[in-house]
Amino acid sequence: MATARSNKIGRTAAAGMVVAGAVGLGLLAIPAGAGAQPALPPVDPEELVRSVLAADDQPLAGAVELENGLGLPALPGIPQAADGTSTARIWTDGDHRGRVQLPTESGERTLVSDGETFWAWNSEDRTVRRMPEGRHERDPANADPGAAAAAMLAALRPTSEITVEGTSQVAGRAAYDLVLAPASSERTLLREVRVAVDAEHRMPLRLTVLGSGSPDPAVEIGFTDLSFGPQDPELFRFTPPPGARIEDSQGHDEHPRDASATTVGDGWDTVFLTPAPGPGERPEAPPTSRSWAARSAGRGAAGG
Amino acid sequence: MTAAVLPLPAVDDAPRAVPLYRLLGAELRWVLRRPRTLVMLGLFALVPVLISVGVALAEAGPGEGLIGAVAGNGLMLPVVAITLSLALLLPLAVAMAAADAIAGEAAHGTLRGLLLAPVGRLRLVGMKAFGVLVVATLAVLALAVMGVLSGLIVVGRAEGQLVTLSGTAVGPGDALGRISLVVLWTIGQLAAVGAVALAVSALTEHPSVVIASVLGGLIVFGVLSAIPALGWLEPYLLTTGWTAGVDVVRDPMPAAGLVESSLRALCYVTVGTGLTVYRMLRRDA
Repeated sequence: MATARSNKIGRTAAAGMVVAGAVGLGLLAIPAGAGAQPALPPVDPEELVRSVLAADDQPLAGAVELENGLGLPALPGIPQAADGTSTARIWTDGDHRGRVQLPTESGERTLVSDGETFWAWNSEDRTVRRMPEGRHERDPANADPGAAAAAMLAALRPTSEITVEGTSQVAGRAAYDLVLAPASSERTLLREVRVAVDAEHRMPLRLTVLGSGSPDPAVEIGFTDLSFGPQDPELFRFTPPPGARIEDSQGHDEHPRDASATTVGDGWDTVFLTPAPGPGERPEAPPTSRSWAARSAGRGAAGG
Repeated sequence: MTAAVLPLPAVDDAPRAVPLYRLLGAELRWVLRRPRTLVMLGLFALVPVLISVGVALAEAGPGEGLIGAVAGNGLMLPVVAITLSLALLLPLAVAMAAADAIAGEAAHGTLRGLLLAPVGRLRLVGMKAFGVLVVATLAVLALAVMGVLSGLIVVGRAEGQLVTLSGTAVGPGDALGRISLVVLWTIGQLAAVGAVALAVSALTEHPSVVIASVLGGLIVFGVLSAIPALGWLEPYLLTTGWTAGVDVVRDPMPAAGLVESSLRALCYVTVGTGLTVYRMLRRDA
């Protein structure tokens, strides 16, 4: 019968739709950037490190993702320090002007450096902190893998074996994998540190810290999206919106931890100790930071 | 016995297809005449008004979270109202409409008439899906329109501009564009909920089963996404992308989350529609 047959065809098509939808969901779940290893001309590790340190800043726009598995408790004002994934969107014109946006589910922090003034906007209390530019090139430690990786390289060269181990694909760009392993004389909980360096612009694209005894990175920060090229200059200007509270800050009280910070050990054993803000400043602050610094050292997190 | 032979009117054997717009019009009247639909839409219109009154009364300046971003920033209100309602209220409305659409008719015994009527089963599904989509659209529009109005009148307007979460101010035209975008995106997400709800509705005769499974499903999704060990499941859960609605009030607007969650919703729509059609092609009243 014709109806029965068309009915059957219809049911087959409907079942096909269900399968297609399920397959589509599966495709969406595949992480982006899992591609084949690009073929690149071989490079000497020393040469690669030097070219990284010498590379010019490029104008770029990108998204950075931080995967934190250190096991630190949440620090006041730095939600990124706790375990989990946080993202940042960054723009720079390659000439000391930049913009970083740290989105959360219900708000956003925007940091803009326009060359003369550093603006820090927090949507939670709608305040803008304004401070003169110069010594406040800070917090890109969170958001710019470039600075983080470069600082790390310089510190680790005397005590580490540096090799180039193949290539990888980061945010759609071909990159060399620079691997820093502790020298055999070092005592550390870290297995290795991997830095993916962009083959063209010699910029670190991803920093992965692997602890011994775990296949998952202790920390990984890297670009998930990146495009080089001139940026809209409007991005590097900040005009406080109507209704915002503006605080002028000289920035000295921004770094209370620098004054009393100490390091213990050297090489891969280095532990960085710093007091957290007192309970009076932040109600949720721990009474002392020694406990978490010591704990992070125990977890092998504060090495280097 | 005298036999009178009455001349039969010439009957066309093949049932003539009713034009689609008449089917859709009939369904629209059927849906919009239900008092519960109207009451529900009225309640949705009240949500932004209540938020705006709450924010205006608090008057302590910006507070925590998304609601805090509304203070003195009226054009933020529709986005916040829609985002908050998307968590549970809007899916509930869609589930109710989908429950009435097929399972409700089966419970009343009226589905039999529809299945016997000279209307193809595919068209029947299309007509029911249209009814659900209309309810979803009207509910979101009620939130958006009342959100803009009560935001501008009760909360205040920040010099006619929208202060984005990123700390920039955008003009009213741009702000309305962003609100329209979040409306469209939300309707897409609700279409996904509605498609799955309609599939459940086609599988059961009890409307309460539909509402229970949609709300239960949302709660289970929430629980699953809160378990770190099940992180690999997150890309499959519809609710994972629901925080992306807030992205329209960031500047520059990040499109990735909106696009990805819309594609995920499309997959759910495909699965739900497929299941509904599969079941309805065989269903007896």
